[in-house]
Amino acid sequence: MSKKSRISWLLIAPLLALVVAGFILPIGYTMVKAVKNPEVTAALPRTVMVLDAWDGQGMPPDSAWDALADDIEESRRGREFGAMTRRLNFEMNGARSVLMQTRRALGSLEPPYAQSLPVAVPELATPEIWQLIKNNSNPFTASFLLRAVDLQFTPDGRIEAVPPGTAIFLDLFKRTFWISIWVTVICVVLAYPTAYYISSLSNRAASYAMLLVLVPFWTSILVRTTAWFILLQREGPINAGLQAAQITSEPLQLIFTRFAVYVAMVHVLLPFQILPLYSVMKRQGTSMLRAAASLGAPPWRQFLLVYLPLTMPGVAAGAVIVFMLSVGFYVTPALVGGLQDQMISYYIAFFTNQSINFGMVAALSLLLLVFTGALILIARRFVPGLGSLKAG
Amino acid sequence: MKKTLTLAAAALMALTLPNVSVARDLTIVGFGGGYQDSAREHLFEGYEAASGTAVSDDVYNGEMAKLYGMVETGNVTYDIIMVEAPELVRGCEDGIFAPIDYEVVDGSKFIEGATHECGVGGTGWGAAMFFDKAKHPNGPTTYAEFWDVEAFPGVRALRTGPKMTLEAALMADGVAKADVYDVLATDEGVERAFAKLDEIKDHLVWWKSGAQPLQLVGSGEVDYAFAYTGRIIRANGEGADYQLNWSTLLYSIDYWAVVSGSPMMDEAMKMVEWITSPEPLRAQAAVWPISPANAEVNADPALQAANPGMVLNHSDEGLFISTEFWIAHGDELQAKFTSWAAQ
Repeated sequence: MSKKSRISWLLIAPLLALVVAGFILPIGYTMVKAVKNPEVTAALPRTVMVLDAWDGQGMPPDSAWDALADDIEESRRGREFGAMTRRLNFEMNGARSVLMQTRRALGSLEPPYAQSLPVAVPELATPEIWQLIKNNSNPFTASFLLRAVDLQFTPDGRIEAVPPGTAIFLDLFKRTFWISIWVTVICVVLAYPTAYYISSLSNRAASYAMLLVLVPFWTSILVRTTAWFILLQREGPINAGLQAAQITSEPLQLIFTRFAVYVAMVHVLLPFQILPLYSVMKRQGTSMLRAAASLGAPPWRQFLLVYLPLTMPGVAAGAVIVFMLSVGFYVTPALVGGLQDQMISYYIAFFTNQSINFGMVAALSLLLLVFTGALILIARRFVPGLGSLKAG
Repeated sequence: MKKTLTLAAAALMALTLPNVSVARDLTIVGFGGGYQDSAREHLFEGYEAASGTAVSDDVYNGEMAKLYGMVETGNVTYDIIMVEAPELVRGCEDGIFAPIDYEVVDGSKFIEGATHECGVGGTGWGAAMFFDKAKHPNGPTTYAEFWDVEAFPGVRALRTGPKMTLEAALMADGVAKADVYDVLATDEGVERAFAKLDEIKDHLVWWKSGAQPLQLVGSGEVDYAFAYTGRIIRANGEGADYQLNWSTLLYSIDYWAVVSGSPMMDEAMKMVEWITSPEPLRAQAAVWPISPANAEVNADPALQAANPGMVLNHSDEGLFISTEFWIAHGDELQAKFTSWAAQ
C-alpha cells in the first residue's frame, strides 16, 4: 500500500468506523434477532432429538414422553424453561400454561411417563404441542417476520393469516405511513411560502424571522407536545376562544384525535422543512426569476418552470427528513392522539418493555426500515432530486 | 429500533473499552416520584448509615431492555431494582434477576404472595375509579355505574391497554371478582369483555402515564377516571375533593429484585433484607402513604389509622391482578385490544 493510499484510508477511518458501528452492526444485529429461535432447543434438547425422528403424524413415540420429563427435570436447575414456554405461547396461546402444568405435575409422577403424564395433563395427549415443539426446534424462524405482517404458522407448519380480531400490524404500518405522508405534505405546503418570505427579507429582518423558526426547533419535543395538549383540551384556550367568539356553542373534541396528531407533528417537524428550503432559496436568489420575467414569462410560469424546479432540492431534502422522522414518532401521538392514532413505534415499545419479545421488536423494526426504504425509492422515481439530499 | 441500536452500541462499547472494574456505590433503582424520595431518606440513606456501605439511587420507567442489555453485556451498573410482578417473573425466567438468598433475607416476614424466587415484596399499589365531588356530588361508585352512561353522563378515562381494562369490563358486566380471570381465560369471556367495552367506547378517553388521569379530571376534560390510588390520595392531600371508590380497586405488588451479575451481590441481599424490615418501613410510612409488603407493618393498627390509603388493607374489597394470567395471555389480548381500538 502506497503512503498516499494509507493516508487516505486513515482519513476516512473515523467515518468508516462510524458507519460500521452506527449502521451496519445494529442493522445486522436486528436482522439476526428477527429470525433467531434458540429457546426450544436450549430448554428441551432430548425431546427435540426424539421428535426429530418423528414424522409429525399422530402421536410421537413413547420415548418422547420420557425425554420431555427428563428435560423439564433438568430445567429446574437452569433458566431456559420459562423463555421456552413464552416462545411456544407466542406461537400457540395456552402452550405456556400446559407446560407449566406439566412441570408441576411431574413432581409427583412416576415413570413410564407415556402412561402417567397424559392422565395428569390431558392437553399433552393431542399431537399439537408435540408438533409445536418439533416445528420450533430449528435455530432460525420466520415466525416473527410473518407475525409482523399478520401471518402465522399452523401447528402442522403451513402459513395462514392470523384470526381477524388479532390482525393489527398491516393496519398499523398503513396508518404509520399514511400519517407520515400527510405530515410531510402539510409541512411542504406550509414551509414553502414561509421559507420564500424569509428569503425575501433583508438580512436583518431575516435573522429575526429565522429566530421564530429556530426557537421552537430548539425546544424539546415533549414540551411542545404538552403545550398542544393544553391548548387543545376541552376547557383549553382554543375551545374557550371559539365559544367566546360564539363560533361554537359547546367545546369541540380536539384532543385525542387524528387532527391533534397532525397539528402537533407538523409543528414539531416544520423547521426541518423550512431550514433546507430557506438555504436553497437564499442561495438561489431572484436573478433567474428576473431573467424569466425579462423574457416575458408571466408570474405563474416563472414559478412553475423556473423557481420550483430550482428549489426542488430543498423541498426534497426537507421532505425526506420530515418523512423519516415522522415514521418513527412515538411521544406525540401517544400524548395527543387517541387509540386510533397510535403508530408502529407504540408497538415496538410494547414488545421491548412489556412483552419482552425482542424477536418481534427486531422484526417490526426491520420491516419499518424496509418499507420506509421502499417508499423513498418509489418516491424518487416521481419526485426529481428526492433522495439525493443535495441542499442546493 | 432505537433500543436495538442502544443495545448494539452498548455491546460495542463493552467490547472496545478496557474491562476495568471501578469501585462504585451500591445502586438501587426505582420508579421515582414521591415514593422514591421517601425511600431515599428512610430506606436507602438509612441502610447507608446502618451498614457503612455507600448507596446511590437511580430512576427508571420500567423499561426492561436496558436491564437485559446490562446483563447480556456483563456491564451491570444496577444492583437492586424495583419491578412489577410480570417483569419479575419474566426476568427471573430469563436469568436477568438473581435468586433471592433466603439465608440472608427473612422470607417469613412478608405478607402472603410477596416472596418470589427472584424478588420480595416492596410496596403494594393499586388503581381504582374516582371523580371530582365538586363537579359530581353523586358520581358512579361501582363498575356497573361507571358503565351506565344514562344515569351518569360524561367522559370516562381508562388506562390504555387490556390489563385492568378487561377486568373492569367483566366486573361491570356482573362477573364476581373471584371469577374474573377464569372467565377472561375463555374466548367467550374475552368477547364478553370487549362487547361490554363497546357500550361505552364513544364515551372513553385513554391515558398512558399515571399523572394523566389526575390532570384530565382536574382540568374537567374527563368526568370519571380510573387512576392509581396513591396519586388520588395525594391530590386529596393537596386540596382536591376526589371520591375514591375502593370497591373498584385492582391491585398488585412491586418487588425488589437483585440484578444478575451484580458485582455486589452479598451487599445487595443484605440491603434487601434491611429495607424490608419493620423499623425503616415504619419511618418511611410516617412521611409517605406506602403500602409495605411486610406483614407486621402492614397489619399495624396505628399505621392503618394514619394511612387509610394503604392498598393492601383494602385487599378484601379489591381484585389482585393475576401475574401469570397476563404473562400467558398478554400478547394475544394486547393484539385484540389494539384491533378493537382501531375499529
